[in-house]
Amino acid sequence: MSTSLYPLASLAQVEKTPSREDGIPEELELDLRAFGCKLIYEAGVLLRQKQVAVATAQILFQRFWYVTSMKQFGIGDIGMGALYLASKLEECPVRMRDLINVYDLLLQRTAHRVKYPPEASAGPEFKYVPMSYVGSTFYDLKDALVVAEMQILKRLGFNVHVVLPYGSLVNYLRLLGLTEREDVSSKAWGYLNDARVSLLQTPVYALYAVPTIVSAAILLATRQLGIALPSSPEACWWELFDADWEDVWSVAGYTMRLYRERSPDDQARLLRLVSKKGIRSWLEENAPTTSKS
Amino acid sequence: MSESAGPSTPSRKRSRWDTDDNTAESPPPIPIPKRRTKPKPTRSDASHTPERTGTPVQSVQAPSGTPRPRPLHSRYVPPRTAHPPLLPSRSVYCYERLNAIEEGSYGVVFRARDKQTGDIVALKKLKLDEEKHGFPITALREVNALMVCRHENVVGIREVVVGDTLTQVFIVMDFIEHDLKTLLSVMPSPFLQSEVKTLLLQLLSAIAYCHERWILHRDLKTSNLLMNNRGTIKVADFGLARRYGDPVGVGGLTQLVVTLWYRAPEILLGATTYSTAVDMWSVGCIFAELLLNEPLFQAKGEIEMISMIFKLLGPPTSQSWPDFNTLPLAKSITLPTPHPPQLRQKFPYITSAGLDLMSRLLAYDPDDRITADEALKHPYFTESPLPKHPDLFGSFPSAAAGEKRRKPDSPSAPARAADYKLLTEFD
Repeated sequence: MSTSLYPLASLAQVEKTPSREDGIPEELELDLRAFGCKLIYEAGVLLRQKQVAVATAQILFQRFWYVTSMKQFGIGDIGMGALYLASKLEECPVRMRDLINVYDLLLQRTAHRVKYPPEASAGPEFKYVPMSYVGSTFYDLKDALVVAEMQILKRLGFNVHVVLPYGSLVNYLRLLGLTEREDVSSKAWGYLNDARVSLLQTPVYALYAVPTIVSAAILLATRQLGIALPSSPEACWWELFDADWEDVWSVAGYTMRLYRERSPDDQARLLRLVSKKGIRSWLEENAPTTSKS
Repeated sequence: MSESAGPSTPSRKRSRWDTDDNTAESPPPIPIPKRRTKPKPTRSDASHTPERTGTPVQSVQAPSGTPRPRPLHSRYVPPRTAHPPLLPSRSVYCYERLNAIEEGSYGVVFRARDKQTGDIVALKKLKLDEEKHGFPITALREVNALMVCRHENVVGIREVVVGDTLTQVFIVMDFIEHDLKTLLSVMPSPFLQSEVKTLLLQLLSAIAYCHERWILHRDLKTSNLLMNNRGTIKVADFGLARRYGDPVGVGGLTQLVVTLWYRAPEILLGATTYSTAVDMWSVGCIFAELLLNEPLFQAKGEIEMISMIFKLLGPPTSQSWPDFNTLPLAKSITLPTPHPPQLRQKFPYITSAGLDLMSRLLAYDPDDRITADEALKHPYFTESPLPKHPDLFGSFPSAAAGEKRRKPDSPSAPARAADYKLLTEFD
């Protein structure tokens, strides 16, 4: 059975993303992608949305930034639009009002953390103030949501076909005889989607085929638990799954970079760049003098 | 592809999502340049490590004199280059509008020409004006279903293009000359048995393909079956299609599906967990319509529809439909006095194999109704007369393309002689 293939970013799109064209450094773009995905994840938890819809949203979100610059759209808005769209795709639509309330809370909390960095521990505890019933907040967010959903569709050419890795993971673990080791399954599953660190927070789903990503999750899990798998040139386990070592290694590298500690300054900077307004003023402040007008 | 009648002469046109089917077999995956695509960044080969390379493994494979042959790609894991790139929607102005084909509740369909390639296509404009919930989920399902169900007998989606504003979205599909309903009404004589078999096989193979990919069509009827002049039908209008599965999703499935005349009894009786069998019932109605040259159940309302079904097939019994009484609306129906099915009287000329297929397509119990896969193997298709090869079908003037029935050509002057005269005169 041949399944229709999901789209992946082209080499040119990978080498120079639209955000980098606009002067956003690679490191910052990756951090913003990860942060946007975390917001989607948290919104999904608060909405009690199905995991498949949350994962689909994160993948669509990652794809989007290969065709659009963060200067044009904020990661908050696009994340919200991606979750709304993915919920429809997975046949578990959410109410617009619920989604907007949840994102309003998440954005308020982000703003709170900018004001009172958690390290300072002097600030007041975060308290959510529900949006006013008659104010414009709801309508502003609603407009942003509708535009974001439409832009995701338009800029991805309506090709929103997503293949999730979970089925492959189960089959691969079975093939490797690792189903007895529950710790391997749960570790590998965790690398695929965990709250703090997961492959869904990296761009890999827009870059590599699912077998490569699943192999990377297995690689990370088995290495962490000290389990040896056949890896000599003649019999490499990842070849069973049609993955190239370089690709698997590269995917694993994307995960590892999520673990790196960020300085409080970097973290604070991230929180301020959730909207395109934030990105634009940051770009103005940090505009290199050499840039072409 | 139809199973025994063989495929018709290839008329496949490329869409920008088409992948090359043969890349799995041929080891060097060089992307074949497509006619339509815009100048694209060249992707040289399959090894494509972005950014962070520098892993030591490269040197393990490189040094030996004979490079280890790259393992052939599995059929299930095609090379990365076979995946389509992320491409934004093109503008609708890439197409030149020719004429309107039809207007339905879902939107307008235009015939148009691709300005780059000259291909004739059908543009379906989606109605997005009064949407309260963003992009309509039905339109999403339609686009997705069409993209998942790429099949010889499913109308091919080429791309989705957008107009100037965010409310203008068009689905671009291959243009097909006829729809079966119009064709049936204008054809000088009804389809032959051999032709009915070919059409039914094509329909069944398309439905089997969709069901295998977890897509329910939910609006099969003759006006949604398009037919070209090469004897091939294409299932179209996936506007009511959706993915099915277990669990079915929030709130179950709606009963507001399938045009009344083709609606399965379980939907009429309020089931919320129906499945592929609803499409098979519609296929049964279409089969009957091809034989009768008119729709099988022409009811005005749901109650009349149910009583027409009961009249033709006999009221359901505990044998023919064990779960009948568990359906929400079963209690509100008074069954007529039991009588045997009247199918034989309705179709006096069909063979017993044909009648068997019909009665299994129109079986009451959805669990007992024949599946598309089973139906493809039914003896009806292997008995005489055998299905006719699609190429042997007649062709007709296309109403959608604005063609009229041509008058018989009157003889014209001998053109060759004139050419010859020109040549000799200038010599």
